[in-house]
Amino acid sequence: MESAETIPVQRPSRWDEPLDASMTDADVAWLRTRGPFNQMDQSAFPKATPLTGILRHDCRLRRVEPGEVIVREGDYGNSAFLVITGNVRVLVDSLTETQLGRQPTRSIGWGEALTRFLRRSPHPETRTPEQVSLNAAGGGHQSIRRVDDHPAIFLQDIDGVLRRHESVSLGPGELFGEVAAMYRSPRTATVIAETEAALVEIRWQGLRILRRDRRFADTLEQHYRRHWLPVHLREIPLLRYLPEENMQRVIQATELRSYGRMEWNADYRKTRQLHPAEQIASEPLVVDQGQLPTELIVVRSGFGRMCVRHGAAHRTVAYLGKGHLFGIDEIAFNAMRPESMSALLYQHSLHAVGFLDALAIPIEVFATEVLPHIRKSELPESAQALQRSFTEKRKDRRRHRSDQRSEPAASFSHDPSQDVRHPTGVSFESTSLLEFVVQHRLNNGRDAMVIDLHRCTRCDDCVKACGDVHDGNPRFVRQGAVHDRLQFVQACMHCSDPVCMIGCPTGAIARDQNTGVVSIHDSICVGCGVCAAACPYENIAMAEVVDRKGRPFVDQASGRAIRKATKCDQCSGLPSGPACVAACPHDALVRIDLSESPPLSHWLEKRG
Amino acid sequence: MNPSQGPSLKLRRTIALSATLVVIAVFWGIAEWEAARLGRPAFFTGFTLLSGLVILMLLGVRRRLPFWPLGSVSTWTQIHLYVGLFTTAIYVVHVPVLIAGGMLESFLSIVFLMVTASGFYGIYASRTLPKRLTAVEGQHRFDRIDWVRHQIAAAAEKACQQISEASAKQVLQTFYQQALSPFFVSRPSVAYVIAPNGNRRRQLLGDLKELDRYLEDEGRRVAGQLAALVRRRDDLDYQFALQLRLRCWVVFHSLLSLVLLAAALVHMLVVLQYIG
Ligand code: HEM
Ligand code: SF4
Ligand code: SF4
Repeated sequence: MESAETIPVQRPSRWDEPLDASMTDADVAWLRTRGPFNQMDQSAFPKATPLTGILRHDCRLRRVEPGEVIVREGDYGNSAFLVITGNVRVLVDSLTETQLGRQPTRSIGWGEALTRFLRRSPHPETRTPEQVSLNAAGGGHQSIRRVDDHPAIFLQDIDGVLRRHESVSLGPGELFGEVAAMYRSPRTATVIAETEAALVEIRWQGLRILRRDRRFADTLEQHYRRHWLPVHLREIPLLRYLPEENMQRVIQATELRSYGRMEWNADYRKTRQLHPAEQIASEPLVVDQGQLPTELIVVRSGFGRMCVRHGAAHRTVAYLGKGHLFGIDEIAFNAMRPESMSALLYQHSLHAVGFLDALAIPIEVFATEVLPHIRKSELPESAQALQRSFTEKRKDRRRHRSDQRSEPAASFSHDPSQDVRHPTGVSFESTSLLEFVVQHRLNNGRDAMVIDLHRCTRCDDCVKACGDVHDGNPRFVRQGAVHDRLQFVQACMHCSDPVCMIGCPTGAIARDQNTGVVSIHDSICVGCGVCAAACPYENIAMAEVVDRKGRPFVDQASGRAIRKATKCDQCSGLPSGPACVAACPHDALVRIDLSESPPLSHWLEKRG
Repeated sequence: MNPSQGPSLKLRRTIALSATLVVIAVFWGIAEWEAARLGRPAFFTGFTLLSGLVILMLLGVRRRLPFWPLGSVSTWTQIHLYVGLFTTAIYVVHVPVLIAGGMLESFLSIVFLMVTASGFYGIYASRTLPKRLTAVEGQHRFDRIDWVRHQIAAAAEKACQQISEASAKQVLQTFYQQALSPFFVSRPSVAYVIAPNGNRRRQLLGDLKELDRYLEDEGRRVAGQLAALVRRRDDLDYQFALQLRLRCWVVFHSLLSLVLLAAALVHMLVVLQYIG
């Protein structure tokens, strides 16, 4: 009954919002004459979502000019691009931040921190002309300009870049960016236009249906399996000691599954109001409790909620994020149990919170290829217990067989720095806190700001300190969802799934590869507000910028005020580290990783 | 820095408190020893006291330099607390009577005692008021309180105006004009801000309940809405009162501590002059 409630169906109204409202019949007809669309089998598509409909609603035509940066390495994106005419280059090695128009984070010293503070203007959010526009800094080069209706960044000295960096040329009919779009992973390479080119941008919803065409699907699948699946599998800590030939067999057997809506942030405001029971009921079911395990589920991206039935409803016991495993306990136990014991069923159900992308490894493959290469200490407790009890039984045959599952894990020595300590997700002691965190999708936060309201004297020193080091404008508001004594403050959490980064036309919002900090690169931020609208937690504010005397910057062409996205940047580059944390006189405020539970539970424990 | 590491708060407190007591004992011992060999322990304790004051003032200095990595303000507050305790003890050794004789000296004593007393009150307040704030509904930011107050007043007015039943209209609008409107529109009284209590709330809610018997369905629903708004407003005033108290306390304590430091320096100069 329950699974009947959660079968994902395709509503015909899914095209209420086309990707580009200006796509015409003529555009669609023209696309139909081009590869690969001209070879697609119309009849493979469901009536509700015909090929022409996909081209019309899920696609957009884009003209790019030579040197234009189309996608950047590290960006997140919802769409793939197909080359129709012209050529693009995929850069095999990374470009520098500066080449992409971004300002690398610069660490400043004590002296500069002091002069900045003393010389701060009475007006909030002041900028120099160079900070407002890259063009002002680039000595007359139009590094950032509009192409048709979209703003674009151009590389300077394309020939030089192409000479110095290894690159691959893509021509008509070739697709790129589909892995990032379908599997919600950062773009792996920067792609620039080599000549003037026409591209079709296809959003992931469209890509998914296009896979109804066998040939298209096979091409995609083969490409993914050959190039990306090995990479994604190797990212899983448990598989890191796997020998190459075993890995090959795992790759062959692994299946990819996607659940839910990737644009979870659009529904977020509604779903966070739902009662947990309703919310759980609305989440696509990935695995049901009580089934016989047939595969190990590895979360590749997105979020999962692990529940057990409790009374008439479900109780959340943990949430899963990237790299976490579901079903490992049961599968390891089943693989190692003696014949006489019956197999363990899935002890929990798994639901997709928002969206969940999973790799499913069949149990036979797991048992033969993977299990022998997992360190003993990384095995789940039940399997460890089983193993221990085998050894003990061998020593002492008179002993009765006990219920291994409930046997507490005895202490054993392991090297914590080496081992994967939470391979099966995270759980808090308190179920209500756990449910709260999932409900509000705070488990997305890698660096969330949490205030202990039992200690916070509401002095706002944290806010003042933030303003003091950020141009007089605090980059967060001291408000936010409250659970018990904890307030989850509206400050950027530098999320594991940074939905704010999807859709920025110039790549001005970017994640630092080393620190994970998501920050705005002012001089290429065009002020469109896409990121602010996308952040479900409302942690980005658009601010009008002024010069030191308080005179607003306005756009030459339109005369309108220039706005920039502003948000918490973790005080990167400042010698002080996050000023908010340092400023709190009562140790009430922390920045903490909520994608795992131990930091928060330890912190809470410590305060008693 | 990993926030989840380090000793528990309790352990930290025990260690710091014991250390402070040991240091106090040592300094007291030195003062006694000096008195015993007929030295001038007041010199020693006086300079210790002054250094203590300077260290105590450093908290305010650190607070104003958010851009430097000088250790967290919470660490400095901890140091401040224990140094405050230490300084108080040294004061007792330095000035054995409660308030010293002489114009400047008695002034200095009074200011010192006020700063110290307010300091101890501060510990109490900053440990207890946050919990009381957390316990009431709605975590309002201090700078938004006026705005929220207006919102509540506007909502109450709207609820009253929208009544369509004639009987309810008469009963509720009269009550609104007489009792509710003054309550919603004005700021809380000074007496309430100093010592918030539940009297107003109880009274208004009781009176509203009384009206029930003159009302029918719609009227009761609106009365219910108004009651909810009364509660919200009262919670808001409570938040305001406690947050204001915390803020006023810091200003009082830190301003007075400046006066204290100045007076202590003058005292030192006078004493040095007198001896020299
Ligand atoms: C006796 C001489 C004292 C002096 C000169 C002094 C001075 C100061 C100063 C300058 C501040 C910083 C105010 C600001 O944030 O701007 C402060 C804060 C504080 N003082 Fe004292 N203080 C003294 C004694 C004490 C004592 C004895 C205690 C308690 C044991 C105490 C508890 C506090 C607390 C808890 C704060 C933190 C205020 C906050 O919430 O920011 N003080 N004091
Ligand atoms: S801006 Fe919002 S979505 Fe983006 S990283 Fe910060 S909190 Fe997450
Ligand atoms: S600085 Fe600390 S005590 Fe003050 S408002 Fe911020 S979190 Fe609360």
